[in-house]
Amino acid sequence: MIKFGKGNLRVPQWSRRVFMVAGGCTPFRKYFPEYKLEELVMMGYKMMLEDNDLKLSPKEIKDQIQYCAYGEFADHFQDQLLCEAKIHDYLGLEPLWNNGIKTGGATGGAAVLNGAMAVASGYADTVLVCGWERMDEVDTRTGNFYISTAACKDFETRMGRIYSSYYAPMANRFAEAYNLSEVTRAKVAVKNRGYAMSNPNAQQPGRHTVEEVLESRMSAYPLRFLECCAMTAGSASVLLCNEEMAYKLSDHPVELFMAGGTHTLRVADRRHMEIPLLPNEEPGMYDELLKDSGRWPGFESFLAARFAAYLAYRMAGIHDPLEELDLVELHDAFTISDIQTYGDIGLRPYGQEPDYIESGDAYFEGKCPSNLSGGLLGTMHAVGATGIWQAAEVLWQLQGKYDKFHGAEKWWKRAGKEKPADWKSLQVKDPKQGLWISHAGVGSHVTCGILRKAW
Amino acid sequence: MTKAYEGPLSTKFIGEPSAIYDDAGDFWVVNFPRSITHHHTYGLLTPFFKGLTEGKLLATKCTNPECTENSTWLPPRADCPDCYARTEWVEVPTEGKIYAYTMLDYAGIGIEMETPYWQIDVEIEGVDTIFKGWLKQGKPVTGMPVRAEFRTNNPTHTILDICWVPK
Repeated sequence: MIKFGKGNLRVPQWSRRVFMVAGGCTPFRKYFPEYKLEELVMMGYKMMLEDNDLKLSPKEIKDQIQYCAYGEFADHFQDQLLCEAKIHDYLGLEPLWNNGIKTGGATGGAAVLNGAMAVASGYADTVLVCGWERMDEVDTRTGNFYISTAACKDFETRMGRIYSSYYAPMANRFAEAYNLSEVTRAKVAVKNRGYAMSNPNAQQPGRHTVEEVLESRMSAYPLRFLECCAMTAGSASVLLCNEEMAYKLSDHPVELFMAGGTHTLRVADRRHMEIPLLPNEEPGMYDELLKDSGRWPGFESFLAARFAAYLAYRMAGIHDPLEELDLVELHDAFTISDIQTYGDIGLRPYGQEPDYIESGDAYFEGKCPSNLSGGLLGTMHAVGATGIWQAAEVLWQLQGKYDKFHGAEKWWKRAGKEKPADWKSLQVKDPKQGLWISHAGVGSHVTCGILRKAW
Repeated sequence: MTKAYEGPLSTKFIGEPSAIYDDAGDFWVVNFPRSITHHHTYGLLTPFFKGLTEGKLLATKCTNPECTENSTWLPPRADCPDCYARTEWVEVPTEGKIYAYTMLDYAGIGIEMETPYWQIDVEIEGVDTIFKGWLKQGKPVTGMPVRAEFRTNNPTHTILDICWVPK
């Protein structure tokens, strides 16, 4: 059994507190030929500057930025090396330093973490975190292949050339090990695509039934099309600050705690490991479970997500996540990876993940609703932007601005859509703190961010 | 709608005029085709791929007496991640048990397998990892014993040179 070094388990400590004050995004679509990439990025960036009730003008804020963290998943999709330089120039932010961040599906989260490190270290007081992806230059099956090159090219890519085929074996394994029915999996798709109905920026909103999900076309057994996210073109931005700047810019800043974890890209290489325990877990509580499944994380769980949560909860002083978090945004690229994560981040103990859905806790007005934004299944996965957009959605919930950013006619009009007559607000009542997960590979990189109301 | 390019061409232009897609509005979308070959090395793992063409399944093992794990790796790796010693080649059993599986129905472009097919993950005695492959015949269930078959005749020189059948 692999054990982790004591020093490796040190909990990160910011040297200075880090805050998030604003977010912005584009509408998300499969095809976006009306705009070049940098034009899309500008759209989300300007929304961040102009529409977040900041106390300085967009130009004054631009003049305060000292560093930029840019998220882009794949040069393949953009077909442009050093895209960061083009975007940075287009936003007029030279000569400020920027870093291009790439950690697969977790790129957005990793960009936020990188920006937070810049604030925490004192490199910058005001940081732009911005991400994008334009997945519409190639046809879908070419896109599937590009994404599958984020599996091991020697031992895995040729086995499927589509990412669903690397998660699907986990779904079968999980179903048998932890008694997960396909109906529970389908409920995740129904829930998140349903919540996307309230989001003007959503790419694939829909009021589906469990039956429709289970009857949709098979991608890799048991994962159906409606259980998989789509490819997206779009961008998102958030603004991070130190304490002084946060209150200068906003009357409603939120504080950020964040950490990341990693694990092998090839699922094959998952050796048996000790489980890093969350603050509310007891040593020995998983002995019985491991007797049956034999190894951890096996194909059932994600070491990277568990390790990220292990660190982030301790940074933020969270003891019982289900009780203390008011909402979460999880990386539901596939229904199964969403469900697997419930155990990793302690919304349920390992082995009881399906109960988070079945109990109703995961729903709007439940104990700790997840993916009210519509998630990746319903709203978007413009990969480099995803973890940034998720953060913005949590920020807006904490600021009580769900309706402002989802209900106002302006955003429906911008997206070229009619606001539905039966539009429903998904504003959580008086939330104090929320979490978002950004996830890559088959669990290769995961960030866990916690945002807490700071006014 | 695709419109052929009909404007004047420079005599120095030796490329193919691109099609313009303008049916969605006032913006042009143009094609940018290319065909690319990568020359990819198997490096120190070459014996593994060579082994497949000879009907052998080769893993690597760390034998450093100071290593805490001494893991056996399949896929193999030349360097031990626990102690950084160079690993050694070992032949491992060509049979195992199915740990997980999926049926691949919709694959990305360039797939070299006829869909649908079963992709399986195999646990092998004495190996610390779980080896991904594909099942040539039969229907997988968790725990099912399988044995390896090798494409020694006309090999692809890729990981597709090994597959599994029910034992």
